[in-house]
Amino acid sequence: MVARYLKYLGCGAILLALLASFACGQEEPTTPAQSAPAAVQPSPDALEATAALTAGEATAMENQGVSRLQIVRDRGTLVCASINTVAGFGFLDSGGNTVGFDIDLCRAVAAAVLGNPDAVEFRTTTAAERGPAIQSGEIDIMSRNTTWTSTRDAAWGNFAQTMFYDGQGFMVPRSLGITGMLELRDASICVQQGTTTELNIQDFDNQNSMNFDILTFPDGVSSNDAYLSGQCDSLTTDRSGLVSTRSGFDSPDDHIILPGTISEEPLGPLVPHGDDQWFDVVKTVMAILIYAEAYGVTSDNVPSIATGDTKVDRLFGLEGSFGQEALGFPDTVARDVIRGVGNYGEIYERHLTPLGLQRDGSRNALWSNAPCRDCPRGGQIYAAPLR
Amino acid sequence: MAVLRQYLTYQGIPVWRHALIIQWAAQIASAILVVALVMWFFGNMAFAIDDREIPFGFSFLSREYQTPIGEHILPYESSDTFLYALVVAATNTVVVAVAGVILATLLGIFIGVCRLSPNWIVARLATVYIEFFRNVPLLVQLFFWFYIILALPTVREGYVIADLFYVNNAGISFPSPTASGAAPALVWLALAVVAVVAGVIVHHRLVRREEETGRQSYPFVVGCATTVGVAAVGWLVLSGIFGEAPFAVSTPAPQGRFGRIDGGVTIRAGMLVMLIGLVIYTASFIAEIVRAGIQSVGRGQTEAARALGLSPMNTLRQVTFPQALRVIIPPWISQCLNLTKNSSLGGVVGYTDLTNVAITMTQTAPAINIFLMLMAAYLAMSLTWSLIGNLYNRHIRFTG
Repeated sequence: MVARYLKYLGCGAILLALLASFACGQEEPTTPAQSAPAAVQPSPDALEATAALTAGEATAMENQGVSRLQIVRDRGTLVCASINTVAGFGFLDSGGNTVGFDIDLCRAVAAAVLGNPDAVEFRTTTAAERGPAIQSGEIDIMSRNTTWTSTRDAAWGNFAQTMFYDGQGFMVPRSLGITGMLELRDASICVQQGTTTELNIQDFDNQNSMNFDILTFPDGVSSNDAYLSGQCDSLTTDRSGLVSTRSGFDSPDDHIILPGTISEEPLGPLVPHGDDQWFDVVKTVMAILIYAEAYGVTSDNVPSIATGDTKVDRLFGLEGSFGQEALGFPDTVARDVIRGVGNYGEIYERHLTPLGLQRDGSRNALWSNAPCRDCPRGGQIYAAPLR
Repeated sequence: MAVLRQYLTYQGIPVWRHALIIQWAAQIASAILVVALVMWFFGNMAFAIDDREIPFGFSFLSREYQTPIGEHILPYESSDTFLYALVVAATNTVVVAVAGVILATLLGIFIGVCRLSPNWIVARLATVYIEFFRNVPLLVQLFFWFYIILALPTVREGYVIADLFYVNNAGISFPSPTASGAAPALVWLALAVVAVVAGVIVHHRLVRREEETGRQSYPFVVGCATTVGVAAVGWLVLSGIFGEAPFAVSTPAPQGRFGRIDGGVTIRAGMLVMLIGLVIYTASFIAEIVRAGIQSVGRGQTEAARALGLSPMNTLRQVTFPQALRVIIPPWISQCLNLTKNSSLGGVVGYTDLTNVAITMTQTAPAINIFLMLMAAYLAMSLTWSLIGNLYNRHIRFTG
């Protein structure tokens, strides 16, 4: 009898303790008198004594009005939602490191905020789960070739800056002898789930009555396998993604990417809603990458004494300011960023040029490379002035 | 102290030692805890929705979905609403679940009986089957079948049998009847009903004859033959009257530049993988349930049946299995639930089941609402299985 009594009390106490630790800040549930004496209430100190801040606690802190910049600094790492299956943008190299264009954008933010480009914790997300992931607020930045659309801007988070201009295209086996997208009528198309490509292909089908048979797969790996096995006649995604995918095939020359695109796909990092300062921080880091290239500063020649060029000196904190203090940065933030990851051009050359994504003359060239101020010859890579 | 003690007694027993009071207190305490926990979860959700401006609401259901659904049994256009798209996806799940449960039950009974076979090789093979498929994760098995199907030749180079059956890595296609018009279809439906009723009546008669006279009458075989016979004769007669068949046969054929198979019925690769994977996996569990059920029937029953001169097959069918069913049905229901819920893995092999479509929807619609609906839908399906199983269980249980 007594044993039974103790058993009930024990159960009640454990449940209560759990509840109390969950519900800090919430109203306490009425405590049944029977179980109260045995209930061990966790003290607030014990909760806060946890050394490292987990992402869940970060969310809780954010709710209490602590800025994300402060949370990231306290945590000592930047949580970056990434991808590791798209060559050039985010993939695992032979050493097991996550590398790529999108990965370096996260590293640039870590260099700016924490002074260390390697202080990043990468969280791999599939295309379909990335929306809820950023809505939850548990990640600081998402950089995984995500297209900027109005729905996502409203529902997911804020897109900081377009860092790569892309468009959706089609890849087909050379043996089919197809030369244009409109010849794909009645074809079966492999597409990745949860992407804008999945939506665009429906529009294209409706506009041109293509009578597509569309097969959706949860990730790039299975859609590529389905395409390679001939289950579908064509694979569709952003053209950069097609180039990257093809580079991983055993015989890339057997596949051609059809000319033309069916959509606009501006890709760039995004941050959770609700923290304007953090949004500005990420936008500014992207601008630093772009302007460093425009000013001809690479990771090898970051100035540490005034150069006499006002724009360069202002960017690198040697003269004047471009608002570092207001953003919560040290004056020398640009030095950390460029020394850590290089400028936009270096990042592009490191990851995308080897895939065969030509930059010169493409939309991803610098606008400032245009031969004259207003002639429409430069690319579209451009950011708000740093001053 | 003594006074306090007096107040704290009930029926002369101190309250902290009174069984009734302790039980009630425990019930009330746990009820409060559960309610508080649920309230906290919903409170937290509401707070997060508000705080992070997470979209919430059901207005999206009447909006156009505008996204492709690869495999759909109901007709679907991209201009259909989210609600209808969910219905289309739920139908895909229900079809795989129902077909999967039927096939897995048949295969499971077969394997379970094999496991008890006196034939050493048959029994061992059944054991190996069960132990292998029961102990490998379903997701791994699904990927295995996915790649097996991918390894088949493509639709343009696939196997064609008699220009009627097509087997390739896009799926399996075979001819199917299609109604040639509304009126003939109704006549055909009526004929089918008549044929089935005739079959059932014959089956009933033969069962009774067998019970009364003890003569072997094969009620099932003869019943089926009657149904088919009545249908065939009826079709010929009706064709003579109408001058056209009540239904036309739609044969599959390659069409268009890419040789896609049109016409007939196609079980597409995604559904094929799901059916194979779910049936083989679940059958291994059902086989063990069947074995346990048969072994739970007392040995005396078998011995008595054999002493009466029943063949081993008849002993199983007439004596052992009906009694074993009482043990088999409850765990079998839970396997039906498992199969239905496991069909939510469809997305990984490209099958547009309910979960897969719902996940895609979170792109353009509020995720929380979609997942709430998703949970309600699976709950409804599971409760339906439970209802069916429990009704049958009540039907076959011992009475009196």
